[in-house]
Amino acid sequence: MGAKAENGPKPPPPLSSPPPFKALVKLKTKQQELLIRAAALALIYVLAFAIRLFSVLRYESMIHEFDPYFNYRTTLFLTRNGFYEFWNWFDSESWYPLGRIIGGTLYPGLMVTAALIYRALRFLTFAIHIREVCVLTAPFFASNTTLVAYFFGKEIWDAGAGLVAAALIAICPGYISRSVAGSYDNEGVAIFALLFTFYLFVKAVNTGSLAWSLASAFGYFYMVSAWGGYVFIINLIPLYVLVLLVTGRYSMRLYVAYNCMYVLGMLLAMQIRFVGFQHVQSGEHMAAMGVFFLMQVFYFLYWVKDMLNDTKLFQSFLQITLTCAIGVGTLALGIGMASGYISPWTGRFYSLLDPTYAKDHIPIIASVSEHQPTAWSSFMFDFHILLILFPAGLYFCFKRLSDATIFIVMYGLTSMYFASVMVRLILVAAPAVCLISAIAISATIKNLTTLIRKKSKAALTVSSKATSNLKASAKALLDQSLPFQENGAIALLVGAFYLLSRYAIHCTWVTSEAYSSPSIVLAARGAHGGRVIFDDYREAYYWLRQNTPPDAKVMSWWDYGYQITAMGNRTVIVDNNTWNNTHIATVGRAMSSYEHEAYEIMQSLDVDYVLVVFGGLTGYSSDDINKFLWMVRIGGGVFPVIKEPDYLVNGEYRVDKGAAPKMLNCLMYKLSYYRFGEVTTEYGKPAGYDRARGVEIGNKDIKLEYLEEAFTTSNWIIRIYKVKPPKNRW
Amino acid sequence: MAASQMPMATSLLILLLVMLGGAASSPSGEDLVAELETLRSQSPSGVIHLDDRLVSRFLTSAAAPRPYSLLIFFDAAQLRSKPELHLPHLHSEFALLSASFAAHHHKDDASSSSSSTHRLFFCDVEFGESQHSFALFGVSSLPHARLVPASARSLRDDSIPMDQSDFSRGAESMADFVEAKAKIPLGGPILRPPPISPRQALFLLAALLISAPFLIRRVLAGDTLIHDRRLWMALALFVYFFGVSGTMHNIIRNMPMFLPDRSNPDRLIFFFQGSGMQLGAEGFAVGFLYMVVGLVLAFATHALAGWKSVSAQRGFMLVGMLVAYWAVSKVIYLDNWKTGYSIHAFWPNSWR
Repeated sequence: MGAKAENGPKPPPPLSSPPPFKALVKLKTKQQELLIRAAALALIYVLAFAIRLFSVLRYESMIHEFDPYFNYRTTLFLTRNGFYEFWNWFDSESWYPLGRIIGGTLYPGLMVTAALIYRALRFLTFAIHIREVCVLTAPFFASNTTLVAYFFGKEIWDAGAGLVAAALIAICPGYISRSVAGSYDNEGVAIFALLFTFYLFVKAVNTGSLAWSLASAFGYFYMVSAWGGYVFIINLIPLYVLVLLVTGRYSMRLYVAYNCMYVLGMLLAMQIRFVGFQHVQSGEHMAAMGVFFLMQVFYFLYWVKDMLNDTKLFQSFLQITLTCAIGVGTLALGIGMASGYISPWTGRFYSLLDPTYAKDHIPIIASVSEHQPTAWSSFMFDFHILLILFPAGLYFCFKRLSDATIFIVMYGLTSMYFASVMVRLILVAAPAVCLISAIAISATIKNLTTLIRKKSKAALTVSSKATSNLKASAKALLDQSLPFQENGAIALLVGAFYLLSRYAIHCTWVTSEAYSSPSIVLAARGAHGGRVIFDDYREAYYWLRQNTPPDAKVMSWWDYGYQITAMGNRTVIVDNNTWNNTHIATVGRAMSSYEHEAYEIMQSLDVDYVLVVFGGLTGYSSDDINKFLWMVRIGGGVFPVIKEPDYLVNGEYRVDKGAAPKMLNCLMYKLSYYRFGEVTTEYGKPAGYDRARGVEIGNKDIKLEYLEEAFTTSNWIIRIYKVKPPKNRW
Repeated sequence: MAASQMPMATSLLILLLVMLGGAASSPSGEDLVAELETLRSQSPSGVIHLDDRLVSRFLTSAAAPRPYSLLIFFDAAQLRSKPELHLPHLHSEFALLSASFAAHHHKDDASSSSSSTHRLFFCDVEFGESQHSFALFGVSSLPHARLVPASARSLRDDSIPMDQSDFSRGAESMADFVEAKAKIPLGGPILRPPPISPRQALFLLAALLISAPFLIRRVLAGDTLIHDRRLWMALALFVYFFGVSGTMHNIIRNMPMFLPDRSNPDRLIFFFQGSGMQLGAEGFAVGFLYMVVGLVLAFATHALAGWKSVSAQRGFMLVGMLVAYWAVSKVIYLDNWKTGYSIHAFWPNSWR
């Protein structure tokens, strides 16, 4: 333990006040410290779980959002039919008529984990539904992440920093946003796996032990099985190794850790069908392989250096070898790329490196709201004071450079860059930011408390010698200014605790107000301040399940595909997997065409029902009309007959009287506003007043020729239409 | 017509001849096309610079079904400095479109048998020297571009203005407009000049290869810049600053540094209210505030501790504490203002 070793006989850390522990006085100081640390960690563990339960308390125990419904559906299948059925599952209910090979196109880590937890609980005779397991998986893993953060912090700095890091990450909003109860998504498990892999790898580098690197290979395997973000690991670790090599920190420990982790991790990762041979074939993984070979070159060179005693000779040998090695590597990469054996980077990866790429070339990536670039306020919202402490932590890390702090600095900086490119990657940066800020907090508070506690000079000099050379000089000088020193330290300490308490308040508030809404059940404030719940989504999906033929095909925009298959149990044309752009573009084309043209498309896809989401009555703004321009863009990307300017008036998107004629008569407009012209939505406004966009609609007299209204939910949020059979068949 | 068959050296001469020709009698369509082609060949990008006389020659005085159509970009030298209009950028995009168009239709012109509808010429008009033409087209605001189809009789009513959305994506969307309205396909992608020419790339590669052995030697000896931790530290802080100040957001969204206030033109807006969006200067200001606390800490422990005078140490320490407090409170205030959230604690019900 870093703290114990450094400070010898030291009273418990500042997290607790001494008086209540008088009963413990019989214990030795070390035991006391251990007890307090364990207790604090246990409380943090519970806290991390408890803070993520707002959504369950406020709504109910249910799965949130879109993707989690797919995960839930597959988990259900897994627990019912067993692993082999799951692995070979061909799902004919989505992407009609293409279908989807589920086993080969998903990361099974999350489902397998949930199923295992479920089995274990059943074995312990807890008779609970699989849904509860799924809802609580993410909070459970968040709790485990705090433990990993503790050990990681201990590894890179000391136990105090570990404890602070655990506390910070337990309530960090950037992480909570993806791991509240009900958010049953890959990230919930993956952040745990990510941090765990990194921890094990750093441990392996620090110790040079085969066992730790083996463990990190397995951690990597778990990460690969859980989330596509494993690409971050397989690029960050080689980058880290490369930096160590370049800065002259090559060691045998590093050699053992990286080689074992890379080779085994690669072999293990190939067992995941979705990943397959990508480790040796895709451009995204080539950096790891290149560093692997470079590592061998380094080892070979050191061996030769051992053999040769003449330094001059070795120098020239070195230059020739390295130049040749780099040349051969580049050549091999070039040939691999040219011959198509190594696939080029995927769009998502490319858009991280050249962020303007996605905007111009891949509307399907650019259209997702969580892929937007991050403004400064989002950082503040998700990190609060951690962001301000981050540079301070960087400073401390640089003051005490070691292999481990280099790693955390690199992790922090790369993830910070990625977070600034895409909002959702704040999640990946969260553990690093917490760890680095924890170092800043812990180091500062530790210095301040030692100042306060140690009045005798002798003890002070011991401790300041012990805390390496970190702030020794500062303290030695502060010693001379004794009169104000204690007061100053107390003032700073109070300031620090005030900041930390603001952080706790911020996190609680943000979690409760911003990150705990399931988005499948909507809540709004009513006219009298009361909470109004709109449960239209589930109403519609249950209607589909109960009132349509079991083989009915439902066409909707892809956002709702997973929910329709999971809750409505009906076949959909496209869903959130977005693997086939053409298919999605076909739906986008149908939605943006005139009704008779759309009818032909729908006939060709065997569509029976069309589902649209409409917020004009309730003022729900993320509905299909607001998403419509993306349908046009994605549709137009494949079918040039769809042109965005046809739907705009002077570059402006309108739905009122001044809207473009094509807009007023396209399928999406008709289905959204059908019969809406008869409804008075707000007092003092004309009939057909759209509350989501704040305008009176432009086409109130909508007649449907090829479709008929089948069902509209109580708040009109979901409207389902039946496609009429062809005329004159008999 | 004699005027058009003569080889023409300078545009001055052309103007003269054009005036003469115009005064004498109206030239035939084929002559005008040949004249336009000559003019086009004189400009590197193929954009023909028109003025009032040339507009009258090629448009007003030429009989209605002309054997060519013109795409005219309206430019104004006095407005080029206004950043929100993007005139220089749009003009260069226009030139790019013209050059790409010429490259893809090179063969058509060579065979010269293509139908008249395929003859499209790219022109620009400058406000300062051709105010009459601006009035003729009824153009009152920029940026503006117009397609004058072959059949247009009235320049104001029969020509097709380019929408704002057609400018939005630069040359690509202009090409879409041309294809949609003039029914003339571009025939290929926009040919943008590569950022590094192949020769430069080769040169760089060669320089890298030659310098590699020397670099490797110094790296192994451990006496390069990269072994200096202060450099790494500065880089790390830069990356941090770059990330949290939302620079990527500004790059991807092409956000300006600040906006002029609509209600009061003398004032500038530096801060944008509403989360998910930000202006450039705003991001840098806040990014700096983010860094202040860490910098103060580094200063206090690194530089301050070495000072001799104790009172100076105390004074600066106090200032440092105040600055840190100010920075944090400012950031939190700005954040609450921007996002509109009012963050408050949850107290137990019994405490109320």
